[in-house]
Amino acid sequence: MIFPAMTGSADGPDGDDYEVTLALHGAIAVMVGVLVTIVWVATGAGYFWPMWVWFGLLTTVAVHALGRRGIDVLEQRERPLTFHVELTAFLVAIELIVWAMSGGGSFWPIWPITALGALLGVHALIVNRELLPSLRERELTERVDVLTRTRRGALDVQAAELRRIERDLHDGAQARLVALSMQLGRAEDRLDDRPEIAALVRQARSEAGAAIKELRDLARGIAPPVLADRGLVAAVEALGQRAAIPVAVDAQVSRRLSPVVETAAYFVVAESLTNVAKHAPSASARVTLADRDETLVVEIADDGPGGAAESDRSTGTRATGLSGLRRRVEALDGTLRVTSPEGVGTAIRAELPCGS
Amino acid sequence: MRVVIAEDNALLREGLVALLREREIEVVAQAEDGEGLLRIVEGHKPDLAIVDVRLPPSFTDEGVRAAIEARRRHPELAILILSQYVEPVYTSELLASGEGGVGYLLKERVGEVRTFVDALERVAGGGTALDREVVAELVRSRHAGERGGALGGLTPREREALALMAEGKTNAAIARAMVVTPGAVEKHVSNIFAKLDLPATDDDHRRVLAVLAYLGAGEE
Repeated sequence: MIFPAMTGSADGPDGDDYEVTLALHGAIAVMVGVLVTIVWVATGAGYFWPMWVWFGLLTTVAVHALGRRGIDVLEQRERPLTFHVELTAFLVAIELIVWAMSGGGSFWPIWPITALGALLGVHALIVNRELLPSLRERELTERVDVLTRTRRGALDVQAAELRRIERDLHDGAQARLVALSMQLGRAEDRLDDRPEIAALVRQARSEAGAAIKELRDLARGIAPPVLADRGLVAAVEALGQRAAIPVAVDAQVSRRLSPVVETAAYFVVAESLTNVAKHAPSASARVTLADRDETLVVEIADDGPGGAAESDRSTGTRATGLSGLRRRVEALDGTLRVTSPEGVGTAIRAELPCGS
Repeated sequence: MRVVIAEDNALLREGLVALLREREIEVVAQAEDGEGLLRIVEGHKPDLAIVDVRLPPSFTDEGVRAAIEARRRHPELAILILSQYVEPVYTSELLASGEGGVGYLLKERVGEVRTFVDALERVAGGGTALDREVVAELVRSRHAGERGGALGGLTPREREALALMAEGKTNAAIARAMVVTPGAVEKHVSNIFAKLDLPATDDDHRRVLAVLAYLGAGEE
């Protein structure tokens, strides 16, 4: 009886109109509700059946309100997903109220609510499907982070292992060979009257000596002792002192860095100074080490003739040395840059991330 | 000659003690680490300490640091460093650290028993004994190049003579090593001193020290 009039008035797209009819609808519903409740009291109370009347009336008011939102969607003033959320909430509320008013019992609304939720979920996924690739992106970013961390970890482990091997060589095989060489020396010392045997022993000792030297060279290739003992700055200063050209060292690093970073930086300096001495023997060089914002900056600049090309295919040697350095540096996510303008000199700059 | 030894490797320590005993050199005490070295130097006042570079607990340059400290307390103490590797920085530090004799030898040189014992005696007497590889490193150091190419001004034969001299060899030994007459060596040596602008004295060891001081000057 009241329904058709109410829904009829919902056609008006005009906001004010709509609100007026909605308010009227609400007022009438409340009036009818009150009347019915009075009738219930007058007929002697009992089971509170008017609650179903209230429920029906208020449901029509809610449908009326929702209808307005529906129009908004049709006229594209509102996102369909928002309307879907409201509609779902409305239906769920209806089911819960009906369940409660019918005396509870087995919670049957779980099934329609699950279905409604699933529908809403599918709708949300379809609407937000353009966000899915970014999820994938985030996954990849995380993966890259993990890989960077584990690669760095692997390199640290490798550097630590190499130092351990160096130490083991020093305390193990090398020490045994030294002891052997001592004993041979003592034997030789007592063989003054048997020169031919003494010569044999001397030969054996010189073999031991050669083996010791080979082990020593091997250990030095892993990392020079002064680097492991005293750190990068001392090792680079020692390099500067031993270089065949004059070298000024300016080192602004006050902490011990991880072995793998120290070793890479050390070999960048060593190889670069060797290159300068080889290609510009009359030049002098300046080595700068700076620990800036978790990045170790290593620069070797000379005042030689410049014009060095990293991809110098004709000579090969220089290129090989540099590409070896580049591999070392890039494995640490660092960069290596060579600038060598003709007549100005050559500068090699390596930046190595060294955050903890 | 009274000697103490600081060496953590038992095999080498015992070998060294046995070798010295056979040569009637008295090993009065042994230590296994830097602190031990300081303790036995204090307690026994030896003429010479034979020290391994790498000692516990740090297993880095503990031996060098302990030796320098021992010399600070006993400037007359002679130090012979034994190492399995050449590190010119450590040599320079030792040379700068006191008045007594200083040696830096690779461990395998101990096997050349006679040369080793000669070196010990020289160092105990206030002289020097530097391993030929140490000398080679020092000679080609930058300091040479910086002083107006002073070392660059030496002829290859003079360089060779200088290197042998720095090892602590006498003129006669240098002559043997270079297969020349002692007279020729004397000429080389006086040329070297002239070119390096060093005042000549009669004492071989002081001249060697002077050369080394010259080569090692400017080390921090």
